[in-house]
Amino acid sequence: MHRRWRRAAQGLAAAGVFAGLGIVANAQQPDFTGVWTTYTEPAPAGGRAAGAGGGGGRGAGPALPLTPEAQRKIAEYQALIKGTGDTPGGFCLGTGMPGSMLGSGGYPMEIIQRPNQITIVYEAHNEVRRVYLADRIVPEADRLPGRNGHSTARWEGDTLVVETTNLIEQVDQRYAHSEKAKIVERYRMTKGAKGERVLVAEMTMTDPVFYKEPVKAEKKWAEVPNGHLLPYECAEEAWNIHLEQLAEKAKSKK
Amino acid sequence: MNKSRLAVVATLLALCGAGVSAHHSAQQFDFTKTASMSGIVKRFQAINPHMRLVLAVTDAKGTREVAFEGHSTNNMYRAGYRDGMIKVGDKITVYVAPLRDGSEGGYVTAASTADGKRFGAQSRAEQEAERAKAEGRK
Repeated sequence: MHRRWRRAAQGLAAAGVFAGLGIVANAQQPDFTGVWTTYTEPAPAGGRAAGAGGGGGRGAGPALPLTPEAQRKIAEYQALIKGTGDTPGGFCLGTGMPGSMLGSGGYPMEIIQRPNQITIVYEAHNEVRRVYLADRIVPEADRLPGRNGHSTARWEGDTLVVETTNLIEQVDQRYAHSEKAKIVERYRMTKGAKGERVLVAEMTMTDPVFYKEPVKAEKKWAEVPNGHLLPYECAEEAWNIHLEQLAEKAKSKK
Repeated sequence: MNKSRLAVVATLLALCGAGVSAHHSAQQFDFTKTASMSGIVKRFQAINPHMRLVLAVTDAKGTREVAFEGHSTNNMYRAGYRDGMIKVGDKITVYVAPLRDGSEGGYVTAASTADGKRFGAQSRAEQEAERAKAEGRK
């Protein structure tokens, strides 16, 4: 059913039926629908395979052109969590942009593409991004800020260009940013070494508060044919512990 | 702050508190080392972000319960774990990144079940064998 709908939608798109809705659709636009996992470049002979990470979560990477204000805020955060190993994920919180699109902790993602909305579900923490096109774009005054912000998109030929704003300040990921950040992603389809579909996501983040110049990163995703995301109920343990504590309390009252 | 809002905040704080106790730092484990330990499963939770396991271990030191945490259910699933593979009462072996402070327990990266099935991250020997195969080496 799903595939049939998709094919029908592609047919309509090819026929330019969505043009009346303000959606520029044509046969050039690839369908990103599917499950995707981190693409690993094949190892050179005798060498080790190199991941095509992005490393959006945390960890070492190239030095970022941070402003003094950003450096101070990040240093304060690092001092606060020093020695604890605490992370947002440890508290069942999603990475937020751009960490989500740059890897989401190494877990796969699913893309569900419709002409005027692309929904991206990251398996880790069931983090969801809704990318709106044309008449689905929410007016600026009606948006609420969040860790993944508000994403709008347009097609430039076979490339999907996504702009994300309405973010909150985040110092708890590799690519920290202020609420003034604007993230532009460019998605295009390529082929991997074995001919498999590989989705390339190029990210440029501009943020006059946190960065002296735009920051760029790239992530490659390989398609998982007939792939499925797994459930990820992270808060279950905290709930179970809470119930155990309630049971203990009830027992002690008897 | 009204009473109902206060109750919501109190509940959230309680859950966060539980979260703090539930999610230990990965820094306490030494991922450059692998140790193994066998025992009888007393408790097992296949959950995210980290699995939970308590084994009753009997050796020269006597019998005691040892608690472990480990990879997420989802990562374990992709490394061979399936529902029902570990049950309370089973005798299993776990492969762990040991605790840096030398105390018992660790971070489970792989396990062998009661009927000999193994799931989880490959050992270094297994990784090397796979690499050799891919490169056409013996």
